[in-house]
Amino acid sequence: MRIKLKVFSNLLHTLKLLLPALFPSWNFFDVIAPSPRIQFTLLNKEDDSPLEWHEFRPRPVHVSLVQMLKRLFWNPKWNESLFMLSCAERLIEKYTLHSEDEILNHITKELKNTPLNGILVDATYLQFRLIVLQRKNDQLYEEPMFLSRTQLLSTQNFL
Amino acid sequence: MTLDTAIRLTEILLGIAFAQQSIEHIKLSSNKQGLFIIRLLLAVLLVIGFHTIWVACLLLVLGLIILQRFQGPYNGGADRMGLLILCCLCLAHFSPAPRWQEIAFGYLALQLILSYFISGWVKIVNRDWRSGRALSDVFQFSAYPVSERLRLWVNYPHLLFFMSWAVMTFELLFAFSLLSSVSLGIALIIATIFHFVNACLFGLNRFFWIWISAYPSILWFQHRIIYT
Repeated sequence: MRIKLKVFSNLLHTLKLLLPALFPSWNFFDVIAPSPRIQFTLLNKEDDSPLEWHEFRPRPVHVSLVQMLKRLFWNPKWNESLFMLSCAERLIEKYTLHSEDEILNHITKELKNTPLNGILVDATYLQFRLIVLQRKNDQLYEEPMFLSRTQLLSTQNFL
Repeated sequence: MTLDTAIRLTEILLGIAFAQQSIEHIKLSSNKQGLFIIRLLLAVLLVIGFHTIWVACLLLVLGLIILQRFQGPYNGGADRMGLLILCCLCLAHFSPAPRWQEIAFGYLALQLILSYFISGWVKIVNRDWRSGRALSDVFQFSAYPVSERLRLWVNYPHLLFFMSWAVMTFELLFAFSLLSSVSLGIALIIATIFHFVNACLFGLNRFFWIWISAYPSILWFQHRIIYT
């Protein structure tokens, strides 16, 4: 009975996710909402205070026209970053473990592949925060909106 | 364009779009890689026309599983449009009568028209869009510009004002292009350029491929409504 209920609940949830595709709102960019940025820090102990926050995947200074054309066919990293942005927006709207896990896991994966590994090997915990950028009148403001749990990093993540 | 031709063209273009997305996911080597290998195979079958009725259904089921795994769309509107096209294709294939088949595929054409019209409407009723301020915000602090240098476009308010009005005018007038096949052809070329520019400036490459796959529906729809 409990299994049946769970299956039914999952089906209902999937249907709820599908409905916006069947009856779309199409209100792209109707208002320019506050924009989240993901920043992470690496800690030696679980209760350490963060000293330095790093931006997750800072965008490049310049992208050439040729690169833009290539990205029309091949843009996996950017699309993944857009998914991270969706997770950040979902977290700001309403906390979900799924979104927090996705962001933590993607940062871990990214760290594994960055040349910064050498100086990060000692870190044992990872934490991220969401900073929201918005314009009020003519000024841009940054506001911290979410602080994640600290996650233990296995040394295998970096070596 | 006949309904059968339009459906077949949609299948080919959608298959290409899904294959492109799937290869990107496979390259990222996530724990969902298996799902996207299956999706890539099904996309290839859709392109070559192998039992497309059942392949479209399997792609729809897989789409729902992926939706569940990511707890929503991976790439917002692009994924939603992909699912909408798949649903319309499945409904068109399983319709008991040609009339129902036309209604199912016509719904896709209608949503394509609405995708432009509603986007234009929600912008034009917003004072920030009319003044060019909203587009300036997009470049200044949204997460979309692909490089820091693009953020400097905020220093050209007249250009952004012109771009804002160009986008709103195009989106609102798109529906009127149905009046003739020539105007529809021109509108679809402009729409393709619009998605191309979005892909270049904001990295929205998936929107480009997915929206193009819905174009055969509107070409058929225009012929069906205006000339028949």
